[in-house]
Amino acid sequence: MNEISLLQNYLFVGAVLFALGMAGFICRRNMIVMFLCAEMMLQGVSLSLVAWGRFYNDWGGQIMTIFILTVAACEAALALALVMMLFRSSGKLDILVWQYDREENQAPIVDRELPEEPVSDRTHWPELVPAGIEPDQTKLEVRYRRRI
Amino acid sequence: MTNLLERLTAWWHAYNVYVALVLVAVGLYLLLPRRRSWGRAAGAVTSVIGMGLLAARSPAFAGFFQQGVFWSLAAVTISAAAATVTFRNPVYCAIWFALALLGTAALFFYQGAQFLGVATVVVYAGAILVTFLFVLMLANPKGQAYYDRISWEAWLAAPAAAVLLGVMTVALARGLPAIDPAVPAGSPDFPVPAVSVARAMSQPRVEEILATDHMAHLGGQLFSRYLLAIEIAGTLLLVALVGAVAIVVHEQRSRATVDAAHPTAGHALTPAALAAGRTQHDSQFAGAGANIHE
Repeated sequence: MNEISLLQNYLFVGAVLFALGMAGFICRRNMIVMFLCAEMMLQGVSLSLVAWGRFYNDWGGQIMTIFILTVAACEAALALALVMMLFRSSGKLDILVWQYDREENQAPIVDRELPEEPVSDRTHWPELVPAGIEPDQTKLEVRYRRRI
Repeated sequence: MTNLLERLTAWWHAYNVYVALVLVAVGLYLLLPRRRSWGRAAGAVTSVIGMGLLAARSPAFAGFFQQGVFWSLAAVTISAAAATVTFRNPVYCAIWFALALLGTAALFFYQGAQFLGVATVVVYAGAILVTFLFVLMLANPKGQAYYDRISWEAWLAAPAAAVLLGVMTVALARGLPAIDPAVPAGSPDFPVPAVSVARAMSQPRVEEILATDHMAHLGGQLFSRYLLAIEIAGTLLLVALVGAVAIVVHEQRSRATVDAAHPTAGHALTPAALAAGRTQHDSQFAGAGANIHE
């Protein structure tokens, strides 16, 4: 494989990763999956940078990728903090909950029919049967246990 | 030692088609539905590798042999990325994303970027672990959430991705063959910075970026030519840290005000809010104690 076809192949793979990540970021509604898709776009760009660095025999590509890693770490910290906050205030990971933040003249997106959950995907969790006698609890403990 | 290596190479040249066929067979066997459902992902990976090796031997892909490894890695990376985007369960998404990252790291190794390969695995392993914990913590315990089962404007997103991919690929196909050392730099056919490209093409490769003392070169570059950028990156990390803390603290403070108003509504997390809530709480419970034990 000569250098130019190596570069071409890497740019192709990087483009595919970027496009897939973009599609996922646009259309997935789970905030955590959106975060993963954003990371995937960064991966695509990293591949292209490393390929160009190899082609020009220059260290700049790899070093920029190191900076991309840094930015990705920052992004992960902020994004997960935001996801945590948004989840706590709405109880859902759905990004559409926050669509009141859209532009003024945009119509809201309303979900009309929800697809049924396929039976094969359904998880049956084991249920624990209560056993033994109920332990003695002081009044004070019961009062505060409810808040913990 | 060299003798053994030569014999191994000769063996590989003679028999790699059989290895590829065995890999394809094993992968297909693992993929087929059986009573046990484990090993399907391993089967997919194995069959993809085998197909890559086979494709490398095919005369239709002339000069493809050395690219076999590359295309196998690329296939693993791309299919894992597609699975990340398309799977319904976010836990599976995280696992497939980890596989896509491993593929990317292997592609880095293939380019000779050893440090980046290791760093990607190490850094993202932590990130993926945290994401995984988040998924497990926030996942809907009663099956899938509805928002994992529907996409948002998928009929727009998929063509958008296809168009983007097409634009980039066509740009590649049009632009890169024009990078030809025979074309003089600055000619109207090729107005791009052709000087350096032509130099890169015509010179025999200086084995600097593939040097054995990779880390020394990389670190030397990083801390001389890119020193300012390093400082800025450090500042960025600090800012992100402060920002993340600020987001969480702001949220807790707003919750604390809610808790002070309605002590039983939620969890009071800061000590001050706990104290403030508790005094109100006790005075409320003096009257409402009967409700507590229901």
